[in-house]
Amino acid sequence: MKVQGQILLAAARGQVWDLLTDPAKLAKCLPGCEKLEAAGPDRYKVSVKFALAAISGSYSGAVELSEKKQPESLRIMLEGKGTPGFMKGEGRIRLTEKQGQTELRYEGEAQVGGMIAAVGQRMIDVAARRIIQQFFDAAAAQLRSSVPGA
Amino acid sequence: MATATKYIGKPLKRKEDPRLIHGLAHYVDDLVLAGMLHAGFVRSPHAHALIKFVDTSKAQSAPGVVAVLTAEDVRGQIGAVPCAAVLPDMKAAPRPVLATGRVRFVGEAVAVVIASDRYALRDALDLVDVDYESLTPVVDPEKAISKGAPVLHEPSPDNVAYRWELEGGDIKKAFKQADKVIRQRILNQRLVPVAMEPRGVLAEYKPGEKTLTVWSSTQIPHLLKTQLAAMLGAPEHSVRVITPEVGGGFGSKLNVYPEEAVIAHLAMRLGRPVKWVETRRENFLCTIHGRDQIGDVEAAVTKDGVLLGVKWRIVADLGAYYQLLTPLIPTLTGLMLAGCYKVPAIRIEIIGALTNKMSTDAYRGAGRPEATYYIERLMDLIAAELKKDPAEIRRKNFPQPKDFPYATPTGVTYDSANYQKSLDLALQKSGYAKLRKEQAKLRKQGRYLGIGLSTYVEICAMGPSSAMPAGGWESATVRVEPTGKVTILTGASPHGQGQETSFAQMGAEILGLTPDDVHVVHGDTAAVPYGIGTFGSRGTAVGGTAAYKSLIKLRDKLAQIAGHLMGEDPQKLVFGDGRIWSKSAGNKSIGLIEAIGAAYVAKTLPPGMEPGLDATTFFEPSNFTFPFGAHVCVVEIDAETGDVRLLKYVAVDDCGNVLNPLLVEGQVHGGIVQAVGQAMFEEAVYDEHGQLITGELMDYALPRAGALPWMETHRTVTPSPVNPLGVKGVGEAGTIGATPAIINAVVDALAPFGVRHVDMPAKRERIWKLMHEAPPRRAPRAPAKAAARRQAGRRAK
Repeated sequence: MKVQGQILLAAARGQVWDLLTDPAKLAKCLPGCEKLEAAGPDRYKVSVKFALAAISGSYSGAVELSEKKQPESLRIMLEGKGTPGFMKGEGRIRLTEKQGQTELRYEGEAQVGGMIAAVGQRMIDVAARRIIQQFFDAAAAQLRSSVPGA
Repeated sequence: MATATKYIGKPLKRKEDPRLIHGLAHYVDDLVLAGMLHAGFVRSPHAHALIKFVDTSKAQSAPGVVAVLTAEDVRGQIGAVPCAAVLPDMKAAPRPVLATGRVRFVGEAVAVVIASDRYALRDALDLVDVDYESLTPVVDPEKAISKGAPVLHEPSPDNVAYRWELEGGDIKKAFKQADKVIRQRILNQRLVPVAMEPRGVLAEYKPGEKTLTVWSSTQIPHLLKTQLAAMLGAPEHSVRVITPEVGGGFGSKLNVYPEEAVIAHLAMRLGRPVKWVETRRENFLCTIHGRDQIGDVEAAVTKDGVLLGVKWRIVADLGAYYQLLTPLIPTLTGLMLAGCYKVPAIRIEIIGALTNKMSTDAYRGAGRPEATYYIERLMDLIAAELKKDPAEIRRKNFPQPKDFPYATPTGVTYDSANYQKSLDLALQKSGYAKLRKEQAKLRKQGRYLGIGLSTYVEICAMGPSSAMPAGGWESATVRVEPTGKVTILTGASPHGQGQETSFAQMGAEILGLTPDDVHVVHGDTAAVPYGIGTFGSRGTAVGGTAAYKSLIKLRDKLAQIAGHLMGEDPQKLVFGDGRIWSKSAGNKSIGLIEAIGAAYVAKTLPPGMEPGLDATTFFEPSNFTFPFGAHVCVVEIDAETGDVRLLKYVAVDDCGNVLNPLLVEGQVHGGIVQAVGQAMFEEAVYDEHGQLITGELMDYALPRAGALPWMETHRTVTPSPVNPLGVKGVGEAGTIGATPAIINAVVDALAPFGVRHVDMPAKRERIWKLMHEAPPRRAPRAPAKAAARRQAGRRAK
């Protein structure tokens, strides 16, 4: 499953970069995130609760950031496993300044396995889009509250 | 065969049905034993991965959990999953009962959890934590056998399990002489058998008696008993396998599965009965799949459509491991690739490919639907290429009735047939000539009618032992009880075929009783003499013949006794209405019960005769049987939606003599429905990562009643010379004959669009694209004109 898209965030590029690389801030954006803690440089342990129609479950895994080019781009890898199966994904995020705002472009590939693949295949694309949307909505909200005068 | 036909050949209703309809039948899941535990399997979500670590601690301490075992815990205690097939240069791909170090398909069992009830079990399964390191899977069989593909099993570094080659006749000459060479790639997609009852196993070990009893939903209780004894290292005489009611097998239960051995082991290890019943999702993931072949054909023909020679190259996707017959199934395709035609020269290459998917194995038809589909598509491709009627092309290539027994270039000998007769009857009953006129008329109105033919031959009554991996005979014991009731114990293991009825008809006919007097027992290795089982349309042709021969032995013995009591020549006695009659002296008779009594009381027996009435036969057939037939399918395709509607289906099947026409009809109906499934709906799809994305009934489309046409069935009768009953078998005929008839009809309907082949399943999306994306692009609103224009354009070229 391929995901890609873009979003315009009302914040400076440096702020967006901070948010993406600060575990405490990142955790607040991640839908269903129960835990996100550092486990080494640019590596975090995560637990998320995620429901796809009738298939709900907890996943635990890791997020890893690499190829960091502050404040332009970075690579995110994540993998998790839980009762309904596993998920794996990696992608690249690019940040571009656009008239004082920041355009975030993302593209990546995700893979699911186990029951979630067998049963959830029909819904997975929609669900993934929704989760990504929730992530950026939360990110935008955080940035808004932290931007003075916004 | 008995000439009297009070019961044989009559459409008696099935004796089995009342208990099935009233819910009185017992399946494995219905069985409850005192102290019974429940087992479930932790299965791999990865298609290909290393198992780094299995943490069972949380599950072990969960409430109700009795034990959690991994491969490590059963190491050296349970043998690998057996494969009976042996082919030249076949590479090993052994499957441990629990994945050891590595998983090779999604659904492979990694651990087993045993708990006191199903709820505790279900919860505990989620607590087993398996750490995997994923490896790159190989899903496409052609990619699997090409350079640089990830390797599944080290003994087979190119993922080629075997190459099976066969050549007959002078193939080079055939292609040199050809006026035309026709080429096509033809796919047989992977299918899931989806028996209504999933698999299930219950095992009980009695330490005092040292006996292990295993109840399993299987088609082969005796072979399972032997294999379990070998896998568990248990003395075979202490192992008993019982097959309760089986809710459908279709070949998917003609196997020995890891779960059967693990559950039996657990019962012995824990000293308590243990049961496992497969979930539907497990049934999709880890019960064998069927078909999955890629066929490339090149045919050399004359301008009149006479076949000179055919080359086939087939890549068969075997999946990750060998189940019982996995490697063998594609070779059955090979044997039948001449179809019901004179093929002077043939060359076949079959490559068995290993991929990260569930194993393929016998599914209704097992290799023959694939062969029939290939060759019946080819006949239509030839007809289309030469612009001739498909019926004419077929007729031109049939062997004549006088040519039988007919030896094919693939090395098999067809027993008996009259292909002309079945085709003629099918054309007549379907109103073929009229249908063609109707088709031409409707095309002018922009309506697309398609008429599809299939003339098939299949290989049945598996089979002579010389050609079978583990014996091809069958056993039957007939016992006439002192009260005059008859018990037939058959080594075949019917599971829906209706032999409790047809064998009772035979018993009643031969001994002059009623079918109610005859009871058929099967599926208990402690009661029934060793047998092979029910598969390959062998139940009646091989198992029935064994029963017939045992019945004749007892009838002869009873005639001897009656002759002695009556002072008559035993040869001149006939059996009927519960009595034994003298043909010579008026209406003189004695009750059958008197002769039976004499056999047991043993005071008035002819001198030297053994008491008792019990006869056993192990029947070894001299050849396979080769049923055949002709099917006609009529479809209409909606130009707006690509929807294929089945309008009419006429099946003419020749399965030799028939014991019960109702059973034959039922088999043909069911077979056609499963063929409709393959032709129109079903497809087991793995994604590029090896995930089965059609893993449940929401995504795997089985045919429903609404999609089915009225099925008209007819028969011709060409008795088989291979067995005294003259029967051939009909369990798979529908599945074999119908798939190409349907697709040929679909392709025929799409002929105005320049379509020459359609891959199965004929989904709306696929058909719509063919109608709308076929060059040159056409307007759906005026289809007839556009088609005419294109036809004209092609002629001009």
